[in-house]
Amino acid sequence: MTEGIKISWNKISLTLLPDRAIYWPSKKVIFIADPHFGKAATFRQSGIPIPEHGTEDDCTRLSKLIEDNSANSLVILGDFFHARLGKTQEIHDILLRWREKFWELNIHLIRGNHDLSSGDPWNDLQIKCHQDPFDLFDLECRHIPSKQSKKPYLAGHIHPGFTLRGKGKNRIRAACFHVNNSQIVLPAFGSFTGLKNINPEDGDQIFLTNGEEIIKVPWGN
Amino acid sequence: MVRKNIKGPDPKKPPEKINDFFKSRNWKPFPFQTKTWKAYRDGKSGLVHAPTGTGKTYAVWAPPLLEWMDANHSDSKRPKLQVLWLTPLRALVEDTTRSLCELVEELEIAWTVESRTGDTSGNIKAKQRRNFPSALVTTPESLSLLLSYPETKECFSELQTVVVDEWHELLSTKRGSQTELCLARLRKWNPNLRTWGLSATLGNLEEAMAALVGNQKDGVLIDGDIKKKFIVKTIIPKNMECFPWAGHLGGKLLEQVAEAIEKKSTSLVFTNVRSQTEYWFDALLNIRPEWKGQIGIHHGSIDRKERTEVENRLRAGSIKAVVCTSSLDLGVDFSPVEQVIQIGGPKGIARLLQRAGRCGHQPGATSNILCVPTQAMELIEYAAARHSINQRKIEQREPLQSPLDLLAQHLITLALGGGFKEKETLKEIRTAWSFRNLTKDEWNWTIEFIVQGGKTLRAYDQFKRVVFREGLYCVESNRISRFHRMSIGTITSDPAISVKFQTGKTLGTIEESFISRIKIGSRFFFSGKLLTLIRIRDLTAVVKLARKGKGAIPVWGGGKSPVSSELANSVRERIEEFRQGQSKQPEMKAMTRTLTLQSQWSCLPKFSEFLIEKTLTKDGNNWFLFPFAGRLAHEGLASLIAFRMSKLEPMTLSVSFNDYGLNLCSNSEKDINEKTWRILLQPKGLIEELLQCMNQSEMAKRQFREVARVAGLIFQGYPGAQKSIKQVQASGGLFFDVFSKYDPENLLLTQARREVLDRQLEISRLTKKLKEIQSQNLIIKETDRLTPFSFPLWAESLRTQISSESWSDRVRKMAQELEAI
Repeated sequence: MTEGIKISWNKISLTLLPDRAIYWPSKKVIFIADPHFGKAATFRQSGIPIPEHGTEDDCTRLSKLIEDNSANSLVILGDFFHARLGKTQEIHDILLRWREKFWELNIHLIRGNHDLSSGDPWNDLQIKCHQDPFDLFDLECRHIPSKQSKKPYLAGHIHPGFTLRGKGKNRIRAACFHVNNSQIVLPAFGSFTGLKNINPEDGDQIFLTNGEEIIKVPWGN
Repeated sequence: MVRKNIKGPDPKKPPEKINDFFKSRNWKPFPFQTKTWKAYRDGKSGLVHAPTGTGKTYAVWAPPLLEWMDANHSDSKRPKLQVLWLTPLRALVEDTTRSLCELVEELEIAWTVESRTGDTSGNIKAKQRRNFPSALVTTPESLSLLLSYPETKECFSELQTVVVDEWHELLSTKRGSQTELCLARLRKWNPNLRTWGLSATLGNLEEAMAALVGNQKDGVLIDGDIKKKFIVKTIIPKNMECFPWAGHLGGKLLEQVAEAIEKKSTSLVFTNVRSQTEYWFDALLNIRPEWKGQIGIHHGSIDRKERTEVENRLRAGSIKAVVCTSSLDLGVDFSPVEQVIQIGGPKGIARLLQRAGRCGHQPGATSNILCVPTQAMELIEYAAARHSINQRKIEQREPLQSPLDLLAQHLITLALGGGFKEKETLKEIRTAWSFRNLTKDEWNWTIEFIVQGGKTLRAYDQFKRVVFREGLYCVESNRISRFHRMSIGTITSDPAISVKFQTGKTLGTIEESFISRIKIGSRFFFSGKLLTLIRIRDLTAVVKLARKGKGAIPVWGGGKSPVSSELANSVRERIEEFRQGQSKQPEMKAMTRTLTLQSQWSCLPKFSEFLIEKTLTKDGNNWFLFPFAGRLAHEGLASLIAFRMSKLEPMTLSVSFNDYGLNLCSNSEKDINEKTWRILLQPKGLIEELLQCMNQSEMAKRQFREVARVAGLIFQGYPGAQKSIKQVQASGGLFFDVFSKYDPENLLLTQARREVLDRQLEISRLTKKLKEIQSQNLIIKETDRLTPFSFPLWAESLRTQISSESWSDRVRKMAQELEAI
């Protein structure tokens, strides 16, 4: 996996990581958005066969992010759970096993729209839950982006994606970070989540990632 | 159920009534109709094939009525369900019901005829399930849905006959396979069930019949070809250009098209793709503003209400012209239509025949079709199509082979409809033609897929789609029943965004991929109107009318179908005739200068020759190849050759293709001799290399969307869908990724790859072509300039590189330069 891209954003320096996360070195905090835990389980309950390895893989990715960057805190920008139906014993066990490896880590969750209907994470995971929006480390953290916000913020919810078109029928569609002066919208962290193509405006910056590499898209210069 | 003796006390009475019915309309039964009536009485099944508008409907509708009258002529009690009538299009259901009712009323018998589709209200559907009409007109999806209710078996206990209308439309599709599966079930309930199909003429009628009647060997093929007359005419441009390029010519003929419309009371104007429909409708109104309100537009994305209105006005003859696509290809009787106009190449013989049949719909009348070329090569296509129509050489349509997504869907339907036993059901499924070669492995995999979620997965407690209880596979969960019933019937429809005015009035549906590229505030043409996009929310695009100006024209997916093999062969035959100086058709005469230039500057290849042209242009070294195998096969071949070339020597190549040839353009100076061309064109290793070089996984991923939908993995959303549905929605691409990673042996992935090879690359056609080339002489011509054959390919290759406006300019300039030589 390649290194992330360092950006200076509203006078703070952040690293956009290929594995769909942001690291803030001076505060030792990792930001992710939209893990949608239990999504595959929700599907199975409805008769759609999706294997479970995704949850374990997502936990492994999270462990690596925390270990590689020696982070002290983790902020989840909403949609921890996918749906109440998917809060199964199996998911609980996987998440608790992961939590036990990182007891020292402070975990914050900004409640997203999915969390509102599925309820907060199990108590034994020890996750501090906040209403959307909430200031953490003097930075506005949101689930749903808002043009009305007066302060620059980090957000999730959108699952931003972007399609690069080449000659002929060549095209690549991947998750992206959508950055401008007032916001950074993070790609969805969960591996079983979809994408929504965004329509960037002039001055916006797009960073495309396939989970392995991250590149800045030449967009409107 | 034992059929009653056909000899009633007064056997002459009912046929008289039928004769009265025909007499009152000044019709006489055709021999094929009488033949069908007799075969039916003998308890046979079969297929009646004839062009549209020749009375196929009465051929199969009269027999069950007559038989019932013979047996029950004094009975005034309404019978239980006797006849099930399947039609491929929802839009045809109402019309069919109406025309079936006519005969029932005329005969004064106690039958009822009703329709049932996705549009039928829940109330009526529930009522129908308790108390079926004597004849039910419905679609394959609705029949499949009926089979998911256990009580249907009892309701169908007296069913005598299933009629499948427009069978040729269904035959080579998943909905055709679905029909076969449903028929297999109905035959198991009643082994004496008779199946009758109605079809347009096809190249493989025997197989079409076998697919319809399943394993029954006594099917009867009835030729209803009463030598209906077809007249194919072409508007030949006054100043013929020798350098044809796609799309621009039609506009020049606009005035002539308008004049042709003026001469007749009602015309249908067919285009090949929906975007062309929007373009021609707008263009006609531009030169004839007074036609506003007098001409209509009709295509699959336009709102049903608007379409119905256009159809009603067509029936009443109160509309001057309708610009349409294949959405009006089928069935419905629009008697007032006097003229059919085809814009652009016919692409297939059967298709042109079908469209021509939309006028002169009365038995015995002549069908006229006026063809409007959008580029010069299409003139040859018209001549070729006319020739093949006269020879009655029509395309084949191949049934599908074991589509497992559909099998999974059908098995869950059976599990819901009272449960199924494994052994006898496998036997039943194999009586459906598409599944006659289903292997035990494929069967086992599908059972495992619906019960445990697949082979390599752990069995999850929560996963209970189909359960095994006391020897029966059945469905226990209400949630799964509900989701499954909702997902039947979504075989063809792609997720679509509905287009609405702010007032809430719906205009139709549009593909998400198109609308997502339109910015808020931008303009586009849709449903014959120039619109501004206001916002998109919950699968709805809200729009308002825009003032005059330019706008984007949506390009809908799947629009460009390749020219059929049969038509392409006929085109080559016409060129051969020309080479030998034997052309007689006016289109070929108009092509004289073009084809002569081609033979002077390069060559008109014989059947035993394969032409390769090499031309140096500003863009680089161009190689043009002319396999005449259709655009899909050419796309595959172009990628394959590019891949093989770059293995010989690293180089950058750009490719373009059309229905007749392909272009490879490179900056390399390297010369390729005949020996190397032989290597580049060899059929060995075709599939493996093609899979390596095409963006195969990306294509398979897109194809997987349909497979996943049919197999019940994707639930389609609709505006205002419940949260419980939204929670379990994911895209086909996402499923593809998850399965590829964690369950690579999943047979649905294999199926998606196979569908890509078959449908998107026409692999069998490509293989055949490469084998043919092996026995041909390679003619390699180095030309000083572009030729009439290569020019359209060069223009096409330019299109992908530069913006559309400068494209037209550059192409026009080049064409003028070449004309001047």
